[in-house]
Amino acid sequence: MIGSILLLVYRNLVAAIDKIFLVWIVAFPIVYIFVVGYSYSPLIGDQSIKIGTLSVTYTSFLTAGMIGFNAMNGSSVAGSIVWNDKRNGMFQQLLVMRFSKVHYIIGNLVTIILIGLASAGIIILIGFPTMSEDINITLWGISYTVYALVIGSIFFGSFAIILSTKIRSSETHSVINNGLFLFFSFASSAFYPAHGLPVPLSAAFYINPLTYIVDISRAGIFSQIDAFTNIEVLIISILAATVFMIATRSMVNMKV
Amino acid sequence: MRTMLSKIQNEYCISVSNLKKQYGKNIAYAVNDITFNVEYGTVFGFLGPNGAGKTTTLRILTTLLRPSYGSIYVFGKDLTKNQLEIKKRIGVVSQNPSFETNLTVERALDLYGMLWGLNKKIRKEKINEILNTFDLESLRNVKNDELSIGQRRRVQVAREFIHEMDLLFLDEPTVGLDPSARRLLLDYIKNQVKMGLTVFFTTHIMEEAEYLCDKIAIIDRGKITAFDTPTGLKQKHGKGAKTIELTFKDILGKSFIQLLNTTISKKQDSDNSNSYIDLNGTHTVTITVNNAEEIISDVLKLVYENGLEIESISINRPSLEEVFLSIVNNDDLRNKQSNDGERTTKC
Repeated sequence: MIGSILLLVYRNLVAAIDKIFLVWIVAFPIVYIFVVGYSYSPLIGDQSIKIGTLSVTYTSFLTAGMIGFNAMNGSSVAGSIVWNDKRNGMFQQLLVMRFSKVHYIIGNLVTIILIGLASAGIIILIGFPTMSEDINITLWGISYTVYALVIGSIFFGSFAIILSTKIRSSETHSVINNGLFLFFSFASSAFYPAHGLPVPLSAAFYINPLTYIVDISRAGIFSQIDAFTNIEVLIISILAATVFMIATRSMVNMKV
Repeated sequence: MRTMLSKIQNEYCISVSNLKKQYGKNIAYAVNDITFNVEYGTVFGFLGPNGAGKTTTLRILTTLLRPSYGSIYVFGKDLTKNQLEIKKRIGVVSQNPSFETNLTVERALDLYGMLWGLNKKIRKEKINEILNTFDLESLRNVKNDELSIGQRRRVQVAREFIHEMDLLFLDEPTVGLDPSARRLLLDYIKNQVKMGLTVFFTTHIMEEAEYLCDKIAIIDRGKITAFDTPTGLKQKHGKGAKTIELTFKDILGKSFIQLLNTTISKKQDSDNSNSYIDLNGTHTVTITVNNAEEIISDVLKLVYENGLEIESISINRPSLEEVFLSIVNNDDLRNKQSNDGERTTKC
């Protein structure tokens, strides 16, 4: 069982990771951190952003947000794995080999988490200098961040899988995928704080799961965990479990 | 009875009994009570028109679909209870393309070999062997999504031979292949069969089935309507008919065709209801009769009397394609089977 799953994870990584994906996963967040972060800083001036009881610079705030953002970006590759397997006949081929649907689903889950964590790890490494003054590493904080990244990867990976299994045409898949991920990206607290926003926009932020993931991972990085963080953990955990169950059902029912 | 069944299941590579598949309630059976056995080390041809139930049967045998009813034993083991164990010993080339878009042919073959649990050294050897055998060396470093449909098909078929297997399912494997690639594949399969491989083969190309298969089952509307060796099928379902093909140096006139018709009619016996004459172009005539050997002398006499000169003459058995068409177009047989709900088609 474990051997088959590991083989599928390796296969997913080999089949899914190409140069374009690496550029997508590394270049975009770097552009956001260094170009957007440093370009907006003069506009913002000395004004700091509050995270819990801590005040941080906009660049620190943005870099910490990009960690959760990149976990979402990375895990969305799960959708393209399923999409390609479905379109190119590899799903059916794998099932007539030594693999079952259970292997395939768990293999995808592990792949999503690995890619999500690796994508977030890349941003932590690259962005560390920009937030080193504000960061406060504690074991408790790290566990919150890692949990947020894992649960975020599961949520967005599962979400991408649902889209891939339900949608048939490439054009529709592309439009819906891009549209939704645009909403996830920019109507979230990844780029700007949610407090102080007009109510409708703030509501949009809090129906967006990326907000919870970014908030939790940010709270972990800066060790600013409070009661609201725990509520966010609870909400996103329930959401991720639900979406994962739907994705599993979609994969089980996927026509071969 | 149970001992006998068990003996049959162990004796054959595939043993299917009373298999039925229904996709939903109130929907006609896609596969309707079929029974057949496939011997070890043979090629079993499974032929039928579109929508006859070929692919459904193959999908059930390769564990992609669950049967609605019936038993399937592969290598003497119950397929529904030993899926994983059986799947480790089979290979499947499905009708639809399957490939890893982003990878080169060599990388994709390597990954496929790895999924089959082959170590690096064996993978390397096998990849070189496959690329060489299937004339794919020039495509080694080409990405799968840059290949033509035919090239992709060749890679897909070749890929399956990277791993050891005892049973290979081929679902119309030559679709999209050029004639030389097709012959290369069929000859390679023949060699593998000589070495002990069993092949379950579906195709629409009758020449291929005739060239490759030891036994052929013809399925139509979910039921097996004929089962035999290719020669046996031609003997049984060709009803002993033969065709006499005559090509003349002269243009044939209507009067000669009428005379020919009269001569053949006189020679017809009661079973000769299938006799007919086809005029192919202006110089060639094809006569289909049951008693070709008896009729030929009268035909030649008629030709001589009419002062015609023959360029070529041949007597042939009907092709497998003609037999296939006569079976699947035989409404009488079909109606008889559909009226006989309890009947099981046994091979």
